[in-house]
Amino acid sequence: MLMPPFELYLPVSITAACEKAAELLAGGFEFDWIAGGTDLIPNYKWHINSKPHVISLANIDGLDSISMTEVGCMARLHDISESTEAHPLVASAAGKVASSLIRRNATIGGNLCLDTRCFWFNQSEEWRSSIDWCHKCDCGTGADCRVIPNQNDLCVATYQGDLAPALMVLDATVHLIGPNGPRKMPLVDFYRLDGMTKNVLEKGEFLLKVTFSADVSQMVGSYQKLRVRESWDFPEAGVAAAWVKGDRETLKVATTALESIPRRHDEQVEQAEGDIKQLAQLIFKAVKPVNNTSLPPRYRRNMIKVLVKRACSE
Amino acid sequence: MTGGYKQQPGGSKKELRKDGKRVAGKQRFAPPGSGGSKPVMSKRDVDFIPETIGGKESQPAGAHIHDRARTGTAVGKRTPLVDANAKVTGQAWYGDDVRLQGEIIGRIVRSPHHYAKVKSIDTSKAEALPGVLAVATGEDAPNPFGVLPVTKDEHAMAVEKVRHVGDLVACVAAVDEATAREAAALIEVDYEVLDSIHDIKKGLEDVDEPIHWRGKYHVGTTNLQKRVFQEFGDRSLVNNPRAMHNGKWKFKGVNHGFTEPHAVVAHWDPNGRLQLYTPQQVPHYAHRALATVLEIPMHQINVIRTFVGGGFGGKSDPFPHEMCAAILSRKTGRPVRITFDREEVFWVNRGRHPSLIEVEMYADDDGRISGFDIDALIDGGGFASFGHVTSYYNGVLATAPYELGSFHYTGARVWTNKPASGAMRGHGAVNTRCAVEVGLDDMAEQMQVDPIDLRLANLLPPHSRTISGFRITSNGMRQALHRVREGSDWDNKFRKLPLGKGIGVGCGFFISGSGLPIHWDPNKFPHATVHIQVDMDGGVTVHSGAAEIGQGSTTAIAQVVAEVLALPIEMIHVRSHESDTSPVDLGSYSSRVTFMNANAAIRAALEIKDKLLEAAWEVLGYHPNALVLNDRRIYYKHDPSISMSYLEALHKAQEDKGSLIASGAYRSPPMGGVHKGAAAGLAPAYSFSAYVAEVDVDVETGLIKCTNVWAAHDCGKALNPLAVEGQIIGSCHMGLGQVLSEQMVYGRTGHLQNPNLLDYKIPSIHEMPHVTPIIIESCDPEGPFGAKEAGEGPLLPILPAVVNAVYDAIGIRINDLPLTPDKVWAAIAKKMKLEGIEDATGLPTPRLDFSALQAKLVTRSEQHELRDNRRQRSEDTDAYVNGVLFGFDPNIPLEDQVDGWKMSTKPTPEQLAELGLAGSIWLKKEQREMEGDN
Amino acid sequence: MVGEQHIAMVPTGPSSIWKASVNGQLKEVLAPSNSILLDVLRDKVGTLGVKRGCDMGTCGCCTVMIDGIPRLSCLTLAAEVAGKDITTVEGLADGAHLAPIQQCFGDHGGSQCGFCTPGFLITAQALLNNNPNPTNEQVECAIEGNLCRCTGYQQIVESIQAAAAIHRGESELKQPASDPHPDPHPLGPDDPTMPPGHAR
Ligand SMILES: Cc1cc2nc3c(=O)[nH]c(=O)nc-3n(C[C@H](O)[C@H](O)[C@H](O)COP(=O)(O)OP(=O)(O)OC[C@H]3O[C@@H](n4cnc5c(N)ncnc54)[C@H](O)[C@@H]3O)c2cc1C
Ligand code: SF4
Ligand code: FES
Ligand code: FES
Repeated sequence: MLMPPFELYLPVSITAACEKAAELLAGGFEFDWIAGGTDLIPNYKWHINSKPHVISLANIDGLDSISMTEVGCMARLHDISESTEAHPLVASAAGKVASSLIRRNATIGGNLCLDTRCFWFNQSEEWRSSIDWCHKCDCGTGADCRVIPNQNDLCVATYQGDLAPALMVLDATVHLIGPNGPRKMPLVDFYRLDGMTKNVLEKGEFLLKVTFSADVSQMVGSYQKLRVRESWDFPEAGVAAAWVKGDRETLKVATTALESIPRRHDEQVEQAEGDIKQLAQLIFKAVKPVNNTSLPPRYRRNMIKVLVKRACSE
Repeated sequence: MTGGYKQQPGGSKKELRKDGKRVAGKQRFAPPGSGGSKPVMSKRDVDFIPETIGGKESQPAGAHIHDRARTGTAVGKRTPLVDANAKVTGQAWYGDDVRLQGEIIGRIVRSPHHYAKVKSIDTSKAEALPGVLAVATGEDAPNPFGVLPVTKDEHAMAVEKVRHVGDLVACVAAVDEATAREAAALIEVDYEVLDSIHDIKKGLEDVDEPIHWRGKYHVGTTNLQKRVFQEFGDRSLVNNPRAMHNGKWKFKGVNHGFTEPHAVVAHWDPNGRLQLYTPQQVPHYAHRALATVLEIPMHQINVIRTFVGGGFGGKSDPFPHEMCAAILSRKTGRPVRITFDREEVFWVNRGRHPSLIEVEMYADDDGRISGFDIDALIDGGGFASFGHVTSYYNGVLATAPYELGSFHYTGARVWTNKPASGAMRGHGAVNTRCAVEVGLDDMAEQMQVDPIDLRLANLLPPHSRTISGFRITSNGMRQALHRVREGSDWDNKFRKLPLGKGIGVGCGFFISGSGLPIHWDPNKFPHATVHIQVDMDGGVTVHSGAAEIGQGSTTAIAQVVAEVLALPIEMIHVRSHESDTSPVDLGSYSSRVTFMNANAAIRAALEIKDKLLEAAWEVLGYHPNALVLNDRRIYYKHDPSISMSYLEALHKAQEDKGSLIASGAYRSPPMGGVHKGAAAGLAPAYSFSAYVAEVDVDVETGLIKCTNVWAAHDCGKALNPLAVEGQIIGSCHMGLGQVLSEQMVYGRTGHLQNPNLLDYKIPSIHEMPHVTPIIIESCDPEGPFGAKEAGEGPLLPILPAVVNAVYDAIGIRINDLPLTPDKVWAAIAKKMKLEGIEDATGLPTPRLDFSALQAKLVTRSEQHELRDNRRQRSEDTDAYVNGVLFGFDPNIPLEDQVDGWKMSTKPTPEQLAELGLAGSIWLKKEQREMEGDN
Repeated sequence: MVGEQHIAMVPTGPSSIWKASVNGQLKEVLAPSNSILLDVLRDKVGTLGVKRGCDMGTCGCCTVMIDGIPRLSCLTLAAEVAGKDITTVEGLADGAHLAPIQQCFGDHGGSQCGFCTPGFLITAQALLNNNPNPTNEQVECAIEGNLCRCTGYQQIVESIQAAAAIHRGESELKQPASDPHPDPHPLGPDDPTMPPGHAR
């Protein structure tokens, strides 16, 4: 398959990247960031919302740091998963993404900014024309959502990144940078419940790094991924849990692949008061997957109970 | 790749560079000798020479007519594929690797509608695009074609209607891919959308606009493509059964999933001949279809089979894109290359039919199988493809390996608005086999006997006839069952494992070549022909049309020639790529290649051998009967110091003649019954297999992991054990995909939701169990050196073995493949609710207490084993037909002995009332009968 | 079929010279800036041993080594790897000498149709370069991104382990044996060394 035409820029510094972004924005040009490309390139090949300009972060030095408290956006998932520096939970979640070969390219930044997915949408241009498009990429036709029809403003495509829940339960902070300068926020505030806007990134901004507080090393936990094949497959449901070693009061639980965003369930944890079964039930009630991934939503939702139990027990 | 003829620099491994690699260029070339100059006979590899001719190779299944042709050179040895070096160096040229000077790129315009009339096509915008060289539409090639001569229902591009999303409408050729893709998008087609059909059951109903029209043979105004009714045996035997099983099955469609997407290069050369490069399993049918569509004589076309990156049946139809490339090349006068995106591979499909199958099976008080009732409704998608045959195979290939009291089959194949289904590894046999084997497991459970013993006590012996009249020759079924039982420690595991762990058994039976070729004109045309040419250099060039698709057919042919002529395999050069040089071969389908082509090759090689020995006779003075061939030398048997080299004999034989040429052919013997459809499933030999699979089921998530498989396959004789094992393990992988995760998912709007390899879930290495391949050699009397097929049969047993193992693990039978975790979980949840179980870890697992019948079955199978051994070794040559187990005399036609014994291919009026889902189509009349009514 | 926002494929984006070392040779080709490495390698550089099975990261047929790391060329922008050292399957052998991994894939049935083979070879070679003593699990994890439809992987793992043994020096690469008993008269009767009346 051929990529749609675009012009690629390979800035070598963060400043240059921001400048290029500012320049394109000023000219009224749309563009995308590309990191490892393992999500963007398949989408582009299928002509999904491709832009005439693309800025690559690959040639910027120093974005691939990996340590207990900081992971740069260009750190490759393979390196994270093999790293002895990274938090074991982050490393193990990274090791469960896609396949060993894809992880060589895939980055943590791309994983967090992953586009949402839907089987009516992650298809070729020809295929989508056969269903007369859908809301997320309607090619100007004003098409409806195919999953929940008769509503024209929400896309419910599923966020299927593996790392976000693991990072959320470790209280990660994301650092963004753009033409208007840097800002940071807890990862839990990064996402927006909309399959199209996905997150709070402003035009021209990109995710610079993820940091953790120093005491993250005290935390233990696990990430449970539901998938049919142990290679390639996106999570059909994912649950991460972490707590300060020896202190179950500090338990945090987050889910992915069940909605348009990954989500941490602080309220439910509080309500359950340490009863894991109760907690599982509460989370089960809180998320409502829709039918746009490989396995049916009823099943994915029911698996929350099992995954929560397993994530909290390991 | 063993032995000496590599003319590459090197040889001294001592000289190494610092990086460990050898220093190139410094070494001598190995001498390219033809050997055989030793005055005394070199040691023969007696381990590979049969006992009958004085070697050590044991022959438990008896002698074989080809024994005398054995020289201990190649057959039975683990032989790397002869084209392996091309593949590991990246030099193998697949479809898209053919890059000709001046090539342009073709692209196909596909239908966005399920079913529509093409009202008009406006190509002007595309043609106006700079760089576009040609545009073609259905009007350019209106002649229909199809792989079977009886069902030619395809066109190069839509002539009137499009029949599924992705059906071809037009094609373009342009200077580069970007332009071609853009031009394809610029073609405007005006459609009139018709009501489409997606539900397979709807295919049986009358509609306004059937997807195809078969004229006076059309059944009502339904979408039926083919219906089959077959009934054999004594129906009354099923009365008062001891056990009875009813299974209603759903099978999703599966795709071959070969790694190489289709690609084709067409080049209308300066002489006006079409050179067509295509990764085809069946180049000959493509050749015929091209001639029809392009309206040129066949000899004006040269079909060049490139390396084939996996076929499994999916590259065996003549394909419309091959026609498109040819048409575009004819229009532009330039080579046109068309390569598919993965999505397009799913649009041409030809994968396994989505099916609804119902089986009813009965066993009597003696644990004999008194009846099989099979009803199969299969979804053919938009075109006929191989479907005519599939409709039969779904039934008739279940008539063995068991002896049956009666057999009843109704099958129907319907058109729906989906990509066409067709032939896929295990063609037509896989789904019913699964249903039947699971049924046996259930009946064994009802009768409280061991399912392996139930099978062992009901097997047809070697040299027998099935209920439908198939001629079974060699039969290693019993041995296969014994070996997997031992290997898996079955007796200590079956029904004894804890919850979540299970073990199950399944058997298989498959054709080894189809008895009737698909194109049988001219009448006595051989199935396979092989030419051998030997010139003074001593190298042996073998011309064969057999399509190597990775299964190792080229290697098998080289091996048998090497074996007969006692030459190192490196001296055999198989040329099988071009239709210009290779004799006609019907292609790589129905597991026919080894059986038929190797037989033809042996014949040709024997002729060459005769010529060499004649020449040696003249020189040495001893009759050919007293001469033996061994490693490039010919010896006098009784005094090996009297000898001459192969090359000398060859040169002598060439005197006044030039190069030695021989041609060998194979045609299967006449066999089978005379009833309608009797030819379907007829084969000169059949393969048998038995697998035991072990699974782990996660009772909370429903995820199944297959951990171990013991896979015994009777391939007659393993010409190349390395390749046979590869086929067995590969079959397990493919079958496992179908039983656990692979499915073509058609969504609520009828669109194929997963035309890519991410969502079409082929097992990765982590899903692969450890497979222990077990080769059974039953030495088929008509097979080349005793060999039968090993490419398709090994796929069948894995499905039922896994399904049965899942039952052993959790006590639930699920009749809906693939067993994705959601289905398993739902079934577990349902059972828990029903039985009031709180925690899935508290599920009961099935256990087995033998009934009195068990001992009876064991005794019977022990007696049968003695019988089978005698028959296998031809110590007992009495006739044996299906029915003897029920006390009938094999020497009198069963119809004459038993009142109720039937052999019919049409339902009686009484039967019409009680037919199953597919069978109900017999309530409808063909158009010609309806006309008669008026 | 095109909607309003159909993304036109032509004209292609701006082109520039792409340079890299492919199998030890410096290659310079003119490529548009949106080029994917796989397309450049196949269509421009001509290393057709790199295969396209899915173009979407799901088969591994397109794997190449970039500075020693196995990567999917179908998911890699050519421009990003400009100037690097790229090894394709064509670069594994040393002239006519097969690398151990190549020899072993042939000898142990690791290659049937062969279409996935280039990808497997690169992935496996990259593994062995770093770890000549992998466990079966490590081999499995390394090749989990490669799809093979023919072999069922088992013989592939065996092939890789056999090659690993050669890398560790525990077994030897099969040498192209010279003829065990060469014919002294390769030219037959015309050979001047042929004794007259031999065996007549
Ligand atoms: C076959 C296959 C299987 C996969 N399986 C999984 C899986 O199991 N689990 C999983 O989580 N993912 C999976 N993925 C998706 C993907 O590989 C990973 O999520 C990967 O981490 C994405 O990283 P990337 O660097 O390749 O992203 P890219 O493709 O480069 O980028 C993805 C998106 O994020 C944006 N982006 C990238 N970096 C930044 C940044 N620093 N700041 C702002 N925006 C940015 C890009 O513009 C783009 O929209 C799979 C992909 C494929 C092809
Ligand atoms: S959820 Fe609806 S709008 Fe979003 S991608 Fe799927 S079909 Fe389109
Ligand atoms: S072609 Fe790159 S992974 Fe399939
Ligand atoms: S050998 Fe055919 S896909 Fe691997």
